[in-house]
This record gives sequence, structure tokens and C-alpha cells, in this order.
Amino acid sequence: MLINNEFNEQKIQSPLQYIWSIFRNKSIAVMSMWAVVTLIIIIIFCHYIIPYPPSLQHPNMLLLPPYWADGSEQAHLLGTDDLGRDTFSRLLKGVQLTLSGALLITLVISILGIIIGATAALTQGIKASVLHHFLDALLAIPTLLTALILIVLLGMSFENSLLAVSLSLLPQFIRGIYICIESELNKQYLIALRLDGATNIRLLRFGILPNIIEPLVTLLNRSFTMAILEITTLGFLGFGANMEEIELGVLISQNLDLVYLSPYLVLFPGLAIFIIIIIFNVFSEGIRHAVIEGEE
Amino acid sequence: MFNYFIRRFYLLTITAFILTLLAFIIEHWTAHSDINDNMIFHYWDYMLAIMQGEFGYSTIDNQPIIRVGLIAFASTLELCFFAFILAGLVGIPLGLFAGLKRNGGIDYCIMTLALIGLALPVFWVAILFTMLPNMGGWLMPIDGNISSIYEVPVVTGFLFIDSLLVSDKYQLDAFLNHLIHIILPSSVLAIFLISEIIRLTRHAVTMVMRTNYIKAAHAKGLTRSQVVYRHVLKNATPPIVHQLRLQISTIISFAMTIEIVFSYQGAGMWLFDSIQQGDYIALSTAILIISGFILLSTILVDLFLVIISPTIRKSFYADQ
Repeated sequence: MLINNEFNEQKIQSPLQYIWSIFRNKSIAVMSMWAVVTLIIIIIFCHYIIPYPPSLQHPNMLLLPPYWADGSEQAHLLGTDDLGRDTFSRLLKGVQLTLSGALLITLVISILGIIIGATAALTQGIKASVLHHFLDALLAIPTLLTALILIVLLGMSFENSLLAVSLSLLPQFIRGIYICIESELNKQYLIALRLDGATNIRLLRFGILPNIIEPLVTLLNRSFTMAILEITTLGFLGFGANMEEIELGVLISQNLDLVYLSPYLVLFPGLAIFIIIIIFNVFSEGIRHAVIEGEE
Repeated sequence: MFNYFIRRFYLLTITAFILTLLAFIIEHWTAHSDINDNMIFHYWDYMLAIMQGEFGYSTIDNQPIIRVGLIAFASTLELCFFAFILAGLVGIPLGLFAGLKRNGGIDYCIMTLALIGLALPVFWVAILFTMLPNMGGWLMPIDGNISSIYEVPVVTGFLFIDSLLVSDKYQLDAFLNHLIHIILPSSVLAIFLISEIIRLTRHAVTMVMRTNYIKAAHAKGLTRSQVVYRHVLKNATPPIVHQLRLQISTIISFAMTIEIVFSYQGAGMWLFDSIQQGDYIALSTAILIISGFILLSTILVDLFLVIISPTIRKSFYADQ
């Protein structure tokens, strides 16, 4: 916890610095952090990275395999599809749309979820009771069913599928936050804070939030994973993004007819989803371990 | 303990009431959007109809929608149940190994497998599995529940039972045919379930291994397998069951996705077809059926937990 520099003065690290110093020493965690940074760079600068426009057709190069297989072209790194469109460019575009949608959903869910969950946990009486029963009912509906219903009610489009996925994942997140805060409220330091006369907001900001980082990271990771899986599932089923928008699930369903002719076209989008989820999982696991070690 | 179940039942009624309200709102928005009647009277009529079992008729084939939905959901349950058996057989031993040899080489291998299993997109794995018979050269069906040459009348809705009931006509052929149809979809679902069960088992076993009674059991001179069978498994089961209970809705939504890929005639396929053909009354019925099942199963799992775990029982006696 103490840093000694050459002037022999002792500085006390802030908790965040301490967690960072633990995190920095784990090679897998740092690698996954750089992978996350790379993915975010891909999201932002996707337009400049891709070698060809995603809808540009090369009529004389149809269904090319990726570069390591026989009969491939060096110009198309991962081959082309049945209209001669470059798979690599389409894949990166798909990653951009899916990943940015999932990150947006996670952000919205975390803000709304913390507000609603904290309200349910910190207030008593009719507000908490109504919220509680309503959540119980919503939790009993499978997320895919909720998303399908919302899609039917709102109409099919990518934006509406994002809305549907975030609303269907919200109850689980709220319940998770609620359980965290509820178990935190019984601790001695929070009772002491209450006796000092802290308001609910102060209690939340200085008493509860710094102490629930570890379960919060797990919850965020879980909702991010589910968000990606559900966006791609809805896209795959044809309820999300339409055929012009390039999304990983849509890419899979578009190329499903070609699965025996050129299996790579189905293989790569699925692998992309898998790799994104793995990277974020390892990253959050690294943060979680650093937080746990920091608390001890 | 009786009081506890009365209380649980009371909570169940409130939740069920909210669910009917949600189902009614969806029905009102999708199927009856042209009626300008009073919402409250309309809800009252809706509730009366539901009480009499009148859920309306499907616009596709004019069948009672509740019957179609229940038969479809029974197939989904069959799929989930089969996958559960597969996953339990593989997942619990692996999780036990990982938990007992924590931070060892085996533990890291098993946990990596579990991480991969949770990260795989279910519908993509289902597509890969539909290609497996072609690649391996196996004779294996990849679509539907049962070959259409068998005429199995619907008695219980569960095809495993129904196909056994017609065994005088087809011997065991219909049953085996259904079994071979269900293997691929349920093994896709089992991949997710195995990773979930491994994680839960590992966590529960680790928690149990830290307790003092395990140290006492070791001190008594019990062998490792005796400790595991007598103490660890018994104490690790309740938290695993409790956590799996919370996962039921996720499992059902994954099962519904898998059904659509394998065109297995379950709840997912039913909803998919209904939405594509504009038969929106299926949505509100699906909410009532699936959520009703999940609510009932939570109560049953609680009862089961009380039966298998003395510590939970004790907490009931204490507050009386």
C-alpha cells in the first residue's frame, strides 16, 4: 500500500491506483485489456481500416476461400462471399455494429439498473414493494420472449432490437444490484454512516458503490455477454437488423445457404462473436481478481 | 414451515396477477387494437375467459391456442430435461474435480472449457452441429422431433411418453426415432448447461472445502472419497440447485433459439412461426404458459431444497 520514492516520503496509494498496480502485474489481464482497446479502436476507426467498402462487389472473384486455403487471392484476406464482397471488410463492419450496440446497451442498463436497484433497496414502503413484485413478474419471462414481444410491439429494426434487448436484460441486472446493496446495507460501516446522518445519495456514493465493485463487474460482464448473444440471436432470426445493415447475426443467417459451399462465411462471424465475448470475459475476470486482492 | 409456503403462495398469486396484466396488455395492443372499449371491463372479460380456459383460437389453423402452446412447450421441456441429464452427467464430476484441485492444472483446464462454453453463441453452435452428421458421415436426422412416417397421437404432449404408448403399433421404433432426433439439439443446449454447472459446482465445492467440518472429517481419518461422498456433495447440492433455479429462464430462451435452428417443433418454433404469420395472440399465451411454468418450478424447487437440505429446514423452525 505504501510507495517509497527517493525522497523517502511515504505516499498512500488511492484504492484505484492500488487495484491498477495489481492488475498491471497479471500478463493475461493486461493482454486482454489491450485486446479490448484494439476492439474499441476497430469500432471507432472501422471506416478507415477496412480494405474495401463492405458492399463493393468483385464479380470475377466469387466465393474465394481465406488466404491459407488453395485458390485464394492475396487481395482478399478472408475470401469473398457469393456476390464477391470482401469477407474481412464485412466482418469488421459487423463487429462494429454488434459491439457498439452491446456496449451501448451495457452502459444504459448499468445506469438505469443502479438507479432503480438502489431505489428499490434504499426505500421502504409501497415504492419498494411495487418494484419488487413487478420485478418478480418480469424475471419469470425468458429474455428471448420479452425481446420478441417488444420487437412485435415496436416493429422490426436494429434500433428497436437494441431497445428490446436492453429492456429484457434490465430486470436481471436490477435484481443483481438489489441483492448486492441489500447484503451491503447490513454491514457495520454503513450503519455507522447512517448514524452520522448520511442521506441516501451520500450512502450510495461513499458507502455502497466503492464496496460493490466486484459483484458489479461480474454483473456488467454478464449483461454484456447476454447483450451480444441476444443482439446476434435477434439478427439471426431476422427480427433485428435488416439485410442492408451488416451485423454478425445477420451475416450468419445471410450465408446459411452457402454453408456447404463455403463454410468459412458462417464460421468467421461466429468466431468473431466468440472472440469478443472471451476477450471481455477475461478482461472483467482480471479486474475482478485485482479488486478482490486489493480488498484483502 | 407451513406458514412459509402460505407466504410463498401469496407472493405467487401477486406475481401471477401481474403476469396476467402484462399478457392482457400485449393481447390488447396486438390482437384487439381496434376495440375502443373500457380497458378495465376488457381486462375483466379477459380474466373470465382465461378462468374458463378460453384463450382464443389460432388464426393459422383455428386450433385452440392454449392446446397448441402447451404441446409445443412440452417438447421444449423434453429438450431441456434431456439436456439437463446430459449436462449433469458431465458437468458435476468435472466441477467437483475443479473444486477439489483448486488452482491446479486440471482446474485451469476445466475452467477454460467452461469459459469457452459460456462464450459460444448458441445458434452458431447449433448450425455447426447440423453440419456434423454430414462431416462425420453419420446417419442422423437434423430437423424435427420425429420422423413423419410415425403417426403418434397426442396424449400427454411429451413425445417420449406418447411414442411409448403406441408401442403396440411400432414397437420401440417411434421412441428410438424421437431419441435420435433429440440428441443433437440437446447436446447443443448441454454445452451451455455443462459450463454453467461446472462453474456453480466448483464455487459450491470450494466454499464447502473451506469449512471446519471438512477439516474435522479429515482429522477423523476419513479417506478423500469418503469425505467427498458423505460431506462435500451433500452440502454443495443446495446452493447449486438454488442457482440453477435462477437460470431456468435463460435455459428456456436458449432452448427456444436452438429449436428454431433445428426446426424442432417446440415453443420457440411455435412463436417464430406465429410471429412470422402475424398470429400475435400466441405471444400473450406464451407469456402465461412459460412464465407460469417458471413460477411453479421455483416453488417446486424451493420445496425440493427444503426436503434435501436440513439447514434450510432449521431456519423455518427457528422463526416460529
